Amino acid sequence: MVGSANGATDLSSEMEVDAFRRLFPLRFHERHLLESVRPDARSLGKARETSLALGAVASADGSALAKIGCTTMLAAIKMEVMTPSKEAPDEGCVAIDFHMPPICSPIVRPGRPAEAAPVVSKHSGMIDLKELSLVSGKAAWMAYLDIYCLDADGALFDAALLAAAAAFSHLQIPVVSLNDDGRIVVVSKENGEKAKNKPVNEEKRKLKLRSIPFALTCILHKNYILADPTAEEESIMDTLITIVLDTSCQLVSLYKPGGPALAYESVLQDCIALSRQRVKELQKILNEAILDMDVD
Amino acid sequence: MAAKGGAAPATYSPSPTTFKKKRPPIFTDVDWVRPDGRDFHQCRPAFLRTGAVNAASGSAYAEFGNTKVIVSIFGPRESKKAMMYSDTGRLNCNVTYTTFATPVRGQASSDNKEISSQLHKSLEGAIMLDTFPKTTVDVFALVLESGGCDLPVVISCASLALADAGIMMFDLVAAVSVSCLGKNLVIDPVSEEENYQDGSLMITCLPSRNEVTQLTITGEWSSPKIHEAMELCLDACSKLGKIMRSCLKESASTSQE
Repeated sequence: MVGSANGATDLSSEMEVDAFRRLFPLRFHERHLLESVRPDARSLGKARETSLALGAVASADGSALAKIGCTTMLAAIKMEVMTPSKEAPDEGCVAIDFHMPPICSPIVRPGRPAEAAPVVSKHSGMIDLKELSLVSGKAAWMAYLDIYCLDADGALFDAALLAAAAAFSHLQIPVVSLNDDGRIVVVSKENGEKAKNKPVNEEKRKLKLRSIPFALTCILHKNYILADPTAEEESIMDTLITIVLDTSCQLVSLYKPGGPALAYESVLQDCIALSRQRVKELQKILNEAILDMDVD
Repeated sequence: MAAKGGAAPATYSPSPTTFKKKRPPIFTDVDWVRPDGRDFHQCRPAFLRTGAVNAASGSAYAEFGNTKVIVSIFGPRESKKAMMYSDTGRLNCNVTYTTFATPVRGQASSDNKEISSQLHKSLEGAIMLDTFPKTTVDVFALVLESGGCDLPVVISCASLALADAGIMMFDLVAAVSVSCLGKNLVIDPVSEEENYQDGSLMITCLPSRNEVTQLTITGEWSSPKIHEAMELCLDACSKLGKIMRSCLKESASTSQE
């Protein structure tokens, strides 16, 4: 830990670091920022270690567990069948739910909606809904994507989006056929009797993802930019900015929900530059996770 | 979000969900094989880890076959404002399921109250509530995947998490259940076996004190069967207790280094 207790005259000089951290959190952090380092020994623009595991949930059609530092997100997709609407007869649907179960953070209690629950935005054209069609006008896939926060330690949106994108990369669409009652049923290998109904989606087992969005959340505090904040940093310095870029580094979304610090154009440019680097890292992590899965 | 808005179209799962009402005759035979190939009196391999959730005061992850559970402990912390003064601590338990825990999406969300209260009953006898007066310890469990025996796994995992949080207990709580299927008793049943069971018996106990905190019996049982099942459960509980203890020791020794 950096010598944070050398503010010469006052109380803080004779206090232990942990006590100082709890009593004067803002000064504790600002003292670090002066030295261009953060309490967890990261430099300001560096994100935490990130890992990804595909296929974490056996009962789902596609799933992924994403960890950014201690923040853990579990995303799983279940495919169900629906009748498409008249307006879009050959399109399926994606329904996204974000959950903050009480296990993930001391501030969430059961029965109360989670305050910090980020809404994972509609997928920026990542998925072509037409690919989810089964029988035009009759049946299409409804992809239920549920994201659970298992451990909340800041940058929830980034982790949720990463888990969601990875779950879609892992998704294996079951082979189904139309039975005589007009219902869609799974073709199982062992019952040969169902083989008389031809599978309707044999060649469409995987979704083609057009471009995958990746997010980076930064804290703006005075003239500092802190990438990928922890929950402690988020609670002390509360101006956040979330930038979502796609794989070709095009800007998908930029979200700054108020806060006392104002963002100048140059600050935004800097944040976007940080996000560009982060997208490369995340893309590498995702590709490695997909390769690992193919090997198994 | 647009996908969810308006009248959400009714959907159905394409997998053959309505399992046959009649149980396959195989379960009544004397020498059938369990779906996962275990012996009747053999438990699933247990994987236990403490410290799964960093934001909590204590936590544990348990995986028994396909049953996967996370439990977080928060507190002891201030009780809710509306609570009366109490010179013993309070225990607040809550169990939730993920929507993808069951084969059909969102199937197991209705009976959480029942499971939560059973979790409470089996833990309260083991915890020294008078060590944290006026405050509440929250025990939150999330069933990531339900593969049978959810409640016993949640209970064992919760007691491990309580130990990880440093809450004073008389002993760890180990829970095991047994299903009665025709003539046979099967220990640590999977979901498929639970669906066809005639009766079930669950014991939660303090293995090193040989005390039972909760015993639930449902369904059809004869007294010699109950005897046999209890013997089986208690034996398995003491083995599970040892595994839990070694898991705690392991995490304590790694954190010291």
